[in-house]
This record gives sequence, C-alpha cells and structure tokens, in this order.
Amino acid sequence: MKTFVSFAILLLMTRALFAADPSAQFVKANQEYAAGDFQSAINDCEELVRSGQDAPNLFYNLGNAYFRQRNFGRAILNYERALLLNRHFAEAQANLRIAQDEARALELSPTRWESWFAVANENQFAVAAVFAFWIGMSAIAIFVFNRRRSFLALSILSLSIFAIAIIGVCQLGHGKNGNGLAIVTEDKVEARIATADNANRVLTLPAGSEIKIVSQRGDWIYAALPNNLQGWMPAKSAEQVRM
Amino acid sequence: MFRRILILAPIMVAATQFAIAASPSVTAVLSDSQPQIGQMVQLQIKVNGAQSANVPETISVDGLEIHQTGTSRQFEMHNFDVTSSVTYNYTVLPQKAGQFKIPPQTVRVGNDSLKTPELVLNVAQGSNRSSGSSAQSGQAAVGSKLVFAELIVAKKDAYVGEMIPAEIRLGFDTRAHGRLQEGPELSAQGFTTQKLQQPRENLETIGGRSYQVYTFKTAIAAARPGNFEIGPVTAKAMIVLPRRPSTTPRARPRSPFDLFNLDDPFADPFFNDPFGSMGERTELPIKSETAMLTVKQLPPNAPANFSGAVGNFTMKVDAKPKMVQVGDPITVASTINGRGNFDRVTGPVLEDERGWHKYPPSAKFKQDDDVGISGEKTFEMVIAPNEKKSAVPSLVFAYFDPIKENYVTLRSDAVPITVEGGAASAASVAAAPSTSAAAATPNVTAAAPAPIAKPQDILYQMNDLGRVGSFTPVYARKVFWLAQFAPLILLLGFVGWKIRQAKIDNRDARRLAALQHESVELLRQLRRAELSPQEYFSNASRVVRVKTAIAKNINPNAVDAEVAAKAFGLSENELAQMRTLFERSDELRFSGGGNGADKISPAERDEVLRLLESLPA
Repeated sequence: MKTFVSFAILLLMTRALFAADPSAQFVKANQEYAAGDFQSAINDCEELVRSGQDAPNLFYNLGNAYFRQRNFGRAILNYERALLLNRHFAEAQANLRIAQDEARALELSPTRWESWFAVANENQFAVAAVFAFWIGMSAIAIFVFNRRRSFLALSILSLSIFAIAIIGVCQLGHGKNGNGLAIVTEDKVEARIATADNANRVLTLPAGSEIKIVSQRGDWIYAALPNNLQGWMPAKSAEQVRM
Repeated sequence: MFRRILILAPIMVAATQFAIAASPSVTAVLSDSQPQIGQMVQLQIKVNGAQSANVPETISVDGLEIHQTGTSRQFEMHNFDVTSSVTYNYTVLPQKAGQFKIPPQTVRVGNDSLKTPELVLNVAQGSNRSSGSSAQSGQAAVGSKLVFAELIVAKKDAYVGEMIPAEIRLGFDTRAHGRLQEGPELSAQGFTTQKLQQPRENLETIGGRSYQVYTFKTAIAAARPGNFEIGPVTAKAMIVLPRRPSTTPRARPRSPFDLFNLDDPFADPFFNDPFGSMGERTELPIKSETAMLTVKQLPPNAPANFSGAVGNFTMKVDAKPKMVQVGDPITVASTINGRGNFDRVTGPVLEDERGWHKYPPSAKFKQDDDVGISGEKTFEMVIAPNEKKSAVPSLVFAYFDPIKENYVTLRSDAVPITVEGGAASAASVAAAPSTSAAAATPNVTAAAPAPIAKPQDILYQMNDLGRVGSFTPVYARKVFWLAQFAPLILLLGFVGWKIRQAKIDNRDARRLAALQHESVELLRQLRRAELSPQEYFSNASRVVRVKTAIAKNINPNAVDAEVAAKAFGLSENELAQMRTLFERSDELRFSGGGNGADKISPAERDEVLRLLESLPA
C-alpha cells in the first residue's frame, strides 16, 4: 500500500513537473516530430499554446508539424503567428513562403500607406510615439517658462514624430497585418455575397489564404478578401492570427 | 490671412457656381420621330441654366402645324448646387407624309442667343407602325376615351431567351385628373419580364384631346418556343367625373361647344367651371389589347461554352499584374459589352487551361438603359500559373446573335505576361523559336516530359522554446499606460515647481515695490514742515528701516541703527547721527513727548533729511 501511494505521488509530481516546465514539453514535441509522429507533436505544441506560451519558436515548430501533415492552412496560420511575435524570424518567413506556394494561398495586398510604414511594427511605432510625445510636452513646458526658441523647435519636431508614429500605429493596426488578419484554415472556402450557403459566390479561397475580418454575424464573418473583394464566409473556416 | 481665405472661399465658390449657372444651354427633342399623318407629336425645347427665355410662339414648317402649348420649370439641387431649367412644349401635327426638317430655332436667354438643333420628322402614310407588333388601339379610338392603355412590343418574332423591348403607355385625359391606382401589370405566360421602371411622363394631344401619358419601359424574354399572346396590360385608375343627378340627367345645361350631344362626359360645363360644383371620384379599370409574338427555338449546333447568352456582344480582356512568380495570382478582367440577356451572360473561359490554376470569377453588371438590356458585365477571374508562361491564354465567350441567326464565338488575344521561377511549360518550350531542332520536330519536343519542379522542403525545427511574447499590441497593455505615469508625474512636478518659483518671485517683487513706495511717500512727508516732532522722527526712522530692508531683503522691523549703518557702510559720524535719530524716535514714541522744543528746527530737519537721502534706495 505504501509503495502504491509513493508511486502515485511520484507520478503526480512528474506530471506536475512536466506541466510546469514548458521547455520539457517543447523538447518532447520536437522528439515526436523527429520520430514522424506529427499529430502528437501538434497536440503537445497546441497544449503549450493554450497554457499561454506565446513563443515564436513554438508557433514555428507547430507550423512545421502542420506542414508535414499537409495542413497548409494551419501551417500558414502558425508561421504568421511566429512572424507577428518576431517579424525578423527568417526561418518562419522561408517556410511561410513555401507553405503559401504549396497551398496556392491568396494574399492580401498592403495599402500604399502600409508599405510606407513597413519599416517598423505597430509596437515600435507606439513606443516611438510615446517617447516623442513626452519629449514634445517637456519641451513645450520648458519653452513656456524659459522662452527659448530651441525648445519650441524641439517640441514641434517631437510632436510631428508623435503624429507620424500614431498614423503608423493606426495604419498597421487596421492594415493587412493588423488586428483583423485571419487565415483560411479550410480548403476551397467559398466567400459569398450574403450569409447563406446558396448565396452567390464572390471568391473561392484555398487554405492559407489571407483575409481581414471586418465584422461577425452569428456563424458568419464578413471579410476583406484578396483582389479587393469582400464577402461572407463561415466563421469556423478561418482563424484570426492574433490570439 | 486665414480668416480672409475663409471669407473669400465661399464667395469664390458661389461666384463660380453663378458663372456656371450663367451659361445656359438649349436642347430640343421630339416625342416621336416617325409619326403618321394626323398623329400628334410633342416637341420640347428645354433651356438649361435659365428660368425664362424667349422662344417662338409658332414654328412654321410646310406640312407641319406647330403650336406652343405650355411651359414648365424645374429646379434641381445637387450638393447645394441649384440648377434650373425651363421647358417649352409644342404640339406638332403632321399634315402630309414625307421627311420634314424643323429648322434650328433662336432662343433668347437674357443677352445670349442660342440655337436649337435641327430635328427631322419622318411622317408615314399608313395607319400601322412599320415593324413593331403593337397592341395599341388607333389614335382616333383613343381620342374618345378618358383613359387608355397601349402595349407596344418591338418585334413580332424572336428567339428563346432573346430580350425584346416593350413599352406600356397609359394615358389619362387631362380634364379627368387621372391617377394610377394599381399596376400596370403585364400578363405574359412563358415569358420573363424585367421590372417596370419609373414611367416617363409627357403630354400628348390625341384626336384633339390632351392626354397625360405615362410610358413604362420593360423587356420580355421567352422561356420556350411557340406562338404567344402577350398581354393585356391591366391597371386601375382613379379619375374625376362630373356628378350628375340620376333623375334628371340633363338638368344641367350642356356645354355650348357640345352641339351634337356627343357622349362625352367632359362636355359638361362642370369642366368649364371646376369650382362651380363637386366632381365624383371613380375607379376605372384599364386594359390594353394583346400583342402576338412568335418565338423560335435556338439552332442546335451551340458551341461547347454557350451559356444561353442571346444578343450582340463584344469582349475586352486585360490581365494584371504582367510580371509574376509561378503560383502568384493574376487577375484577368474581361468585359462583355453590348445588348442582350445579361442575366445569362457568364464569364468567358480560358481556351487552354493547362498549366493554370483558376478560381471562380466575380461579376459586376453596369446597365446603360432603363431595363438592363444594354450595358457591360465585367468578370474578374483569378488565375495562377503552375509553370513558366509567356501569356495568359485567350478567353472564349459564345453567344447567339438573333440578327445573324447563328452562334458567335468571341476569342480574345492572349495577354503577354512574364512568369518567373518554376519550370517552363512544355508548350512554351515547343514554341521557342531559338532551337531549330525544336522547330523541326515539334511533336517530339512537345511530347517530352516537362521538367517537374522539385517541391521545396521546409526548414528545420527550433530546439529551444525561446522568449515568450505577446500578441497584444504594446498600447493595449495596462503596463504601457501605467508606465506613462512616470513621465507625467515628472512633467507635472517640473511645471508645479516652476509655477511656485514664479509665484515666490512675484511676491518678493510686490513686497519690494511696496517698501519703495512707502520710502518715497515718507520722504515726501518729511520734506514738508507741518509734521510734529513725534511724527517726524517716527517717519524718519521708518525710512531708514525701509531702505535697509530693501537693500538687504530683510524685515524692516528688525532694523536698528547698527544694522542700517552696516547695511549702508556708514561712517562713525553718520552712525552717531543714526543712533540719535532712532533714540529721538523711540523717545518721542514711548514717552509721548520730547524733552526739547515742540517743533524741529530747520537745521535739524535738513541734517536728518541729508542723512536719509544719502542712503541709497
């Protein structure tokens, strides 16, 4: 009896240790991937994701496992997530390109403004905006009390940078890679002109295609589609990149 | 400057609009250019951009009787832009057959003199219209009715699916104040009918009577072959008739113009004096005659991609972008333009789909007319090359032309593009003119298997989990906004400190100003002779205190002779004088009187004043 209790405690402790150590589970998922057990690797990675481990490497490996299963929609979704967390993730960029080619996925084209602001991401623009704002406000305060023109010039410059950075945040936040970006996870999804299965088709989207969710009505989402089209599609057929 | 611009801008806009409005134009139209003898036609001269104009009362053309009948004015407002126009109506009564030209008429608008275009009227001899199958009753018959309905179908025979324009005309005698209650409805079994559009309204004189005519346009298309009876058109109208007593139908005298006691309800004098008695509103059904149409089956040898389009069409095709990678999407836009049943016009198809991945097209229709027979339908199809290609293949669209009575296949030119990456297609290798061997043995080259692009493999796994990030943008996190308190507090602290400093500086300045003012005032009083010794020495010692307080920024009450002497660096003699001054002042203040005289001698006064004035302020 004593042995049984000790074994049970040991087992629970091992499990708790495993659950508490995401790195161990990550290593386990990698071993499963190497052994060709892609489904187990996916399950482990998904569990880590659910536990809040939003690491670029985790999403990248998860994307690879889905790619091996030829589930290009989910592979692209996870590569996109990895790139959202680390925009300079070269491996994720390369694998994303391969997955998109394989899936013949359609991509949203960025607006001209988005192309201009592509030098940094939303977070970098937000931080720049904050710094510029406080420098500008301080310069205004000093100018008010000291009447030195150099502080006036500094405040104008800082607030101009602040304005540009805010525009950058807005453009990127509402643009192609913004909050609404979603990936079609099922293949040959029909976008329609209305929320009905028999409504006229707007576009057939291969798995992995990029869409931008505009609104949701019940089980349907209204999305901006590639080729400057818009249409309704089942909500379950696409998943938002931002979790 | 900005204020000036703000004031000037609306003035300039208004002036521009006035300038635009101040350039009137004139148009002239005939309601029918091919009438028969005796059939009244309406001529309208419309002057845009004016509220009145001088037009000729009558227009003389040999064989035509033209009289002005009325004027109507319209005002329209679009985005605060008001436009006005005036329309002059004429009736044209053809008196003989032939071609007539109504010459340009001079219309004077203010100082401008405008000319209408020349109009041509072909007056037919016969009683029926040329080719159209018409269910309209004769004008003479119409002329005796209060209301009438006509169905005009443009053709007598057509093909299945062919769109045939049709016109429904409902006329109301103007004296009956007719109003459409229901309809019109067109019954046509085996036909599809386009939705009736808003009617065109005009005034026509038929058989000597004036009718308000509403013209509805539509189009019909037969779903199967056979002989069909189209119509009748039915509608219900509400009209106003004169009320007559049932017992004495002729109690009211007839109109003096109704000499022959015709059965005309409007011969009643009620219509000469509409305010003399009340009219009776009556609902009246309207029904037109039917029209016959023979519908033929389409010929059997339809092309493979024929989708049922009947009419006359042209096609334009373009593809964008022109330079892509293998697998990249290309949008092929094809526009089908023309006249026909656009609801059956489907997107053109690729003549050769090999090596292309295609997606279903989207379609947009823009109609040019009221009923949707004429217009252009644009299809956007996304295609992606699976291999190297030099052009987007031809697009093919087939339709049946009812005039030529055969099928027509439109084939676009191939759109040259550049596809980079991937393997060249077998067809393009075969077509390459650079190798003579390939040209000599095209079949062998074409039959050779195209090199298959080896699928790329994805990169390796990551071995460590790495840094955990967040999808939430930095500005949506609480910590980001909490962090803003630090610079906010710093800034507010700085501003508060500066404000306090300024206030302190301000208080000191006010104190100094008050002391200086007090010093000046006291010296002024001391220079006067009327002060008592007590007041004099009290004021004098106060001047010393105040001046010392100004010089050393200290409390004046804390100043005595030594402090003052130290502050101003006085000599021993001056110090002694200062001591005496303070002693006298205290003595007089505390004892209530001095040991000396009641008045101060002028010498003593001068001595004290010199001492006080020697102290720097």
